[in-house]
Amino acid sequence: MTKAFSIFGSGSRPQLGPFEQQLLQKLWSHGSATVRELLADGKIRQAYTTVMTTVDRLYKKGFLDRVAEGRAFRYTPRQTPEELQRVAALEGIRQLLGSGDTSSLPLSYLVEALSAHDAQLLDELQLLVERKRRELKTRGPR
Amino acid sequence: MFALRGIAVSLTFFVLLYCLLSALVAVAWRSLRLLRATEQSLAGLLFALRILPLTASVVITFAFVVPSFQLLEPRSINSDEGIGAIPLALGVCALLLIACGCLRVITAQTRTSRVVARWLEGARPLNVDAGAQTVTFCSRREAPPLTLVGVRKPRVLVSEATVALLSHDELDIALKHELAHMRSRDNLKKLVIRFCPFPGMARLESAWSQSAELAADDAAVSNPDDAVDLAAALVKLSHLVPVEAVPICTVGFVTGSISVRVARLLAWSEAEAGKAQPMRIRAWYVIPPTLVALLCVFATYGPALALTHEVTEWLVR
Repeated sequence: MTKAFSIFGSGSRPQLGPFEQQLLQKLWSHGSATVRELLADGKIRQAYTTVMTTVDRLYKKGFLDRVAEGRAFRYTPRQTPEELQRVAALEGIRQLLGSGDTSSLPLSYLVEALSAHDAQLLDELQLLVERKRRELKTRGPR
Repeated sequence: MFALRGIAVSLTFFVLLYCLLSALVAVAWRSLRLLRATEQSLAGLLFALRILPLTASVVITFAFVVPSFQLLEPRSINSDEGIGAIPLALGVCALLLIACGCLRVITAQTRTSRVVARWLEGARPLNVDAGAQTVTFCSRREAPPLTLVGVRKPRVLVSEATVALLSHDELDIALKHELAHMRSRDNLKKLVIRFCPFPGMARLESAWSQSAELAADDAAVSNPDDAVDLAAALVKLSHLVPVEAVPICTVGFVTGSISVRVARLLAWSEAEAGKAQPMRIRAWYVIPPTLVALLCVFATYGPALALTHEVTEWLVR
């Protein structure tokens, strides 16, 4: 997740810093929260005003929704982690495809990367199958 | 003119009901994931849900709309009454929808037949336990590793590479998987799905496809060794890169999420398989409610026709 933010952050979607990511993770775990609620468990050591400025920046970047609650705001993430990851991945792929002069070249990098990933995954699956087969053999013959 | 008006009204009702039910299904099908059912039952439910808009629209149109128009629409007065712009436009939409469905089915079937005919050049029956009638060995390079083809006379095609790569037990269990697809008539189901297109159904179709694969895995496996052999066959055949995209009316062995399928097979246990019995609908539970429903339909058919007629009148005016 963090990797997706940092790699694909330079597109049309603004990049997220480490503290912004930390706050967003916290908001995902809470569902929605005010600044005071974010600070309540003591895991965030920054000052109230720092947290307030950062969530305000996240709101302005379009990552959060907010509603007034007394004199403060209650913040809610606009997207789930999966939705955000999907957007980040799509933007990354879009950037990659639009990066080269020859349009087919970036696509070939993508296919190469996917093939390498697939091959690695299949090798891992093959190892699992062999391990299970050995396990069954030690238990007893068919 | 009366007949034409009747056709236009029926088609209007059909297309509106079809679109409404399709939109509902496209939104609501996800709740089926919460069901604790076997993959076989789940695949059946997902398919039933996918074709529900078409079947329900056809049944309601022929059972209520057509008779209500025939019986309740006055013929003598206003005999020169035209069809009306809305029924005409929606009627044309319905005809286009039906034509589009037919075209999609014919195109898929033609393309599949052409490609399969090429794969079958020089093919011969394969002598395996599953039966030579249904299993064919293909020597063409472009043939996929292991595929079920055909709707009326389905058969399993096995490539040269598959026979070379898999052990006897692995080939046997992989064939059982494809024969499970044959018993479920999955190629026919794919054609039926192609006949009723609607935007937003892709995820439901993909969920059905994955469920059908898992159901075929479950049907093929009967002990832990079978499960490991099937997982091994799956991993081995995944290494073979298909030369060309497979046509619609075929079910390939290496389909769906391979890692999910392998993980499921490696975690297979007799206790779990014994627990997960498919949903059996007993006659005692089905016959009485069906009879009651039929009685209700007969008892309320007249008022239902009158209501349908009112609705169609409101729709077309």
